[in-house]
Amino acid sequence: MKEVLSILQMNKMDATKDALEVIGIPAITAYKVTGRGKQKGLQIPSPSQLDQSDKKRMKYLPKRMISLMVEDEFVPAVVAVITKVNRTGNFGDGRIFVCPVDEAVRIRTGARGNEAIS
Amino acid sequence: MGCSGMKMIRAVIRPETVDKVADALEAGGFVALTRMDVFGRGKQKGIKVGNVVYDNLPKSMLMIVVDDGNLEPAVKIIEESARTGNIGDGKIFVTPVDEAYTIRTGTRGL
Repeated sequence: MKEVLSILQMNKMDATKDALEVIGIPAITAYKVTGRGKQKGLQIPSPSQLDQSDKKRMKYLPKRMISLMVEDEFVPAVVAVITKVNRTGNFGDGRIFVCPVDEAVRIRTGARGNEAIS
Repeated sequence: MGCSGMKMIRAVIRPETVDKVADALEAGGFVALTRMDVFGRGKQKGIKVGNVVYDNLPKSMLMIVVDDGNLEPAVKIIEESARTGNIGDGKIFVTPVDEAYTIRTGTRGL
């Protein structure tokens, strides 16, 4: 079992959810987060005219983070779908992290492991 | 990159120390982070002010993914910049990350 954590642009959420539903993974958890990447947030007007003062810089950008619990063999497909839907070629498209998960429990039935997430 | 593993650092810290921690991390070369506003409590079961008990206290969670080799310095920076010495400074959790992808380029690795 793996957790696929991805940080996405806000406006790609609907498209991402639709695409994941198509490949049969409708269950997601979504978080509203803020953050920044290697570009240190957003510089205004442009990075070349970089003024070091914080006033011209947006330190954290609003993002969405989605978490999906999937069986090991689905990970490449999920990563491919998220990448395909979210790639615009611009900075800020986001990142995907794949983390190991030891155990899952479905609270309603008490089912464990892969059964709990399928 | 690639061959060595990666770790995710999740630090639950005081909301007012976020900027200090973020600046310290930036100075240490860890620019990228994700920040989440969360509520929770620790061993002290929240806080009691007079007769009022606050069960869940507002905290901020910072999420950073680093290569294994950078783990110790990153944790140290967070630890030192988030510390006030009082109860409620927060906790740092480290978990393994198997893979990381940049969506813009589709490449693997941090």
